[in-house]
Amino acid sequence: MTAVDPAADPEPAADHRMAAAASVKNSILGDFLPITIVAGLLGLIPLKFMDSRSMMTVLISGMLFAAYGIAFNIIFGSTGQLFLCVGALAGIGGFSSAIMADRLSVPWVLSILLAGIIASLVGGLLSWIAVTRSLDTIFIGIVTLAFSLSFENFVLGKGDLTGGEDGLRVAASKGSIMREQVKPYYVFLALVVVYLIFYRLLQRSHIGWAFKALKDDEVAAELAGVDVTKYRVYAGLIGSGMLGIAGAMFAHQGRGFIGSTTYAFGAVDVRVLVMLAFGGIGSLLGPILGAIVFTVLDELLDSQAQLREVFYGIVTVFLFLAFRRGAIPSLSSLLKKKPSSRSR
Amino acid sequence: MTAVIMDGIVLGLQFGILGVGLTLVYGLGGVLNLAHGQMAVAGAMVISRLTDGGMGTFLAVAIGIVAVGLLGMVIDLTLMKAVYGEEGEGRTLLGLLLMLGVGFIIDGVLEWRYPIEALTLRVAGDPIDILGVSMRRGSLVASAIILLVGALLVAFFRLTTFGRATRSVIQDENGARLVGVNPSVVRTSIFALSGILGGIVAVTRAMTTPVGSTDGIELTIFALIVAVVGGLGSVSGAFLAGILLGIVSTVSAFYIGSYITTIILLVVCAVTIVIRPSGLLGVRS
Amino acid sequence: MSEPLLKLDGLCAGYLGQDVVHDVSLSVAEGEAVAVIGSNGAGKTTMLRAVCGLMPPSRGSVYFDGTDIAGDKAHRVSRSGVVYVPAERHLFPQMSVKENLILGAYPKRPPSSQLDQVFDLFPRLKERESQHAGTMSGGEQQMLAVGRALMAAPRVLMLDEPTTGLSPLLASEAYNALAELRNAGLTILVAEQQVPLALGLADRGYVLDHGRIGLTGTADDLRNDPGVRKAYLGV
Repeated sequence: MTAVDPAADPEPAADHRMAAAASVKNSILGDFLPITIVAGLLGLIPLKFMDSRSMMTVLISGMLFAAYGIAFNIIFGSTGQLFLCVGALAGIGGFSSAIMADRLSVPWVLSILLAGIIASLVGGLLSWIAVTRSLDTIFIGIVTLAFSLSFENFVLGKGDLTGGEDGLRVAASKGSIMREQVKPYYVFLALVVVYLIFYRLLQRSHIGWAFKALKDDEVAAELAGVDVTKYRVYAGLIGSGMLGIAGAMFAHQGRGFIGSTTYAFGAVDVRVLVMLAFGGIGSLLGPILGAIVFTVLDELLDSQAQLREVFYGIVTVFLFLAFRRGAIPSLSSLLKKKPSSRSR
Repeated sequence: MTAVIMDGIVLGLQFGILGVGLTLVYGLGGVLNLAHGQMAVAGAMVISRLTDGGMGTFLAVAIGIVAVGLLGMVIDLTLMKAVYGEEGEGRTLLGLLLMLGVGFIIDGVLEWRYPIEALTLRVAGDPIDILGVSMRRGSLVASAIILLVGALLVAFFRLTTFGRATRSVIQDENGARLVGVNPSVVRTSIFALSGILGGIVAVTRAMTTPVGSTDGIELTIFALIVAVVGGLGSVSGAFLAGILLGIVSTVSAFYIGSYITTIILLVVCAVTIVIRPSGLLGVRS
Repeated sequence: MSEPLLKLDGLCAGYLGQDVVHDVSLSVAEGEAVAVIGSNGAGKTTMLRAVCGLMPPSRGSVYFDGTDIAGDKAHRVSRSGVVYVPAERHLFPQMSVKENLILGAYPKRPPSSQLDQVFDLFPRLKERESQHAGTMSGGEQQMLAVGRALMAAPRVLMLDEPTTGLSPLLASEAYNALAELRNAGLTILVAEQQVPLALGLADRGYVLDHGRIGLTGTADDLRNDPGVRKAYLGV
């Protein structure tokens, strides 16, 4: 860990911090106003649907995916690590929280936090491996995909622990607000708001600056003393922890049931990718927008479950094709940029 | 034990040809075809529908294989055009995501239209003894077909002008252009060839196990594992890795259990990337 | 004077909308050897890449045998007879020397007499016939790159810095081979920063400076030009 402070001279550093503090104050409205407005609007939605259990389930799932999207945005949007294991990391959170709470009698709220730490360590490890072995996007993608599928097989195979194909019923949180019809929605909304604020604060911190620097030009960032390894792993740790917590919270809501496909690659990762392709990778509110749109579409397609897969396929193809001049270049420019034309 | 290893080789040959189809397309244009298995299963469904409709098996099989080849060609000429217009990691990423989407489309359509359809091709005749192990005819015929196809592929790549041109694009695309090779033509042809190989996988697999309409994703994953372990872009590597992993697979399924087997294969794949990203025989770093 | 075999007319080219080569016009007559000299970064490679089709020129024309080939894809340009040997060589590292040479004639399958001609020029390649190109020394790779280009039976051979990575001895050997080809009547356009070698080979030369043609003349004129002497010959 040899990150050199860009401003080694103490005086300008102090200046610069004061300036940063001032600009934070000045822009606090501009920064947090959109979050407040969005939170307010999302808070009103249940007024219309609170009588319908199934609608509330859909809305909660929407908030869950918004949380996934924000976390994925930190890992992929900020540092270009293609983690195709969003569902698996959330599932590690979900299953470990459920198992800790039910089998080890850990208080369920605490178990959610512990599950977040576990997921964070796992994701951080994946990130560390990827960075130290300097894997490029496709290899990070394959390794994390292999990890996802291993997790799925583990969940199915290790039935005595995970319930296998039948799934797992969580007992510990029975009788809590998480089991009610409407309140869990607000709990998840609160989680999303916390994540959004955290994301904003992160962007403003030295970590966010480092993310931006290595996104703009990794080589330059490295030369300027940004420890690229460290910040990539930070992103892995932070994002995975957020996924773990969101996944763990989901295990305790509603009827307290998690199944073998709750966190499956096909159910989670694909939707998160599509959501972000739609909402904009690396944007603050993109995941929320994507989550809302796809929750609605998902609900409309509910009666045609087989067609949902076709629909997601078409949307994936369409979005990534249509945005290849928009989303993909901005997306690939945040990945390692190698000069393709060094000759002259 | 011998019987388990023999089964492993039979399975491994199927893995191998599955991996070859994926590895070729990746080597040529950086597109990781995450719909490879689904395309193969689509071919199986075509054959199944045609034979159900009363068509002779050989003709149905031929049509099914050609259909997958055409599908590959069409995908290359449409969606992949956009991919090849990109460069570097943007290209890889776009290719991967588009083919992921295509895989979902094919899988969803098959599940919707033919939820319980499966292709089985019975090969008549008594089992044959090999090294003291009684082998089913289906396994032997399937393996013989794959070995023949493998030999043809080797001959194609080593001896024909177009085969050499294909290797030249894999090794140095600009070099290939400078000697007059048109990479687009090579890529389209090889995407079609990859589809044909996928169709052959479906056919040979149907001689040993039923190929169901929803098996595509699983086949894609096996193809991916094999291609990575063999070294992305390496044809001989894919065959070698296929046979090794086939043996690993049957041995571990026999002695440990089947859900662990898939995990073992996935872990081998991940560990290969971490320790030796170029795989067994790949040379590109 | 007859129509030149290769003629660049107002060629502009560059990267990301930023031209590196500005309004370059030059011509090469059949059987002539022409050198484009200039320092590193003068735009020589960009110019040649725009001619051979590896990148599209942003403006201007390239006439080959009277036809405008500007913007044609690289494989078309190569097949039409303008064959480019880049400084990075772009060999096929996991193929044998022989396979590299055979591919040079693509899409034709060359007769062995054609291979023998290349082996006569570079006996070293004959010795290494079955070795993988990626395992050869820099000098051998340079021979192979030129040999592979010759397999296409080029009407114009374009070379970019053929001395890249070569010792002075090997560099002059490479130019001896090119001189042999020139004497046999091959049309050559070479971009080079090792000015004495290039002017030793060429009949005429152009000086490329910051992407523009600054000076042109016969090889002797350029050798005796005080500016060229000062900038490139160190005297």
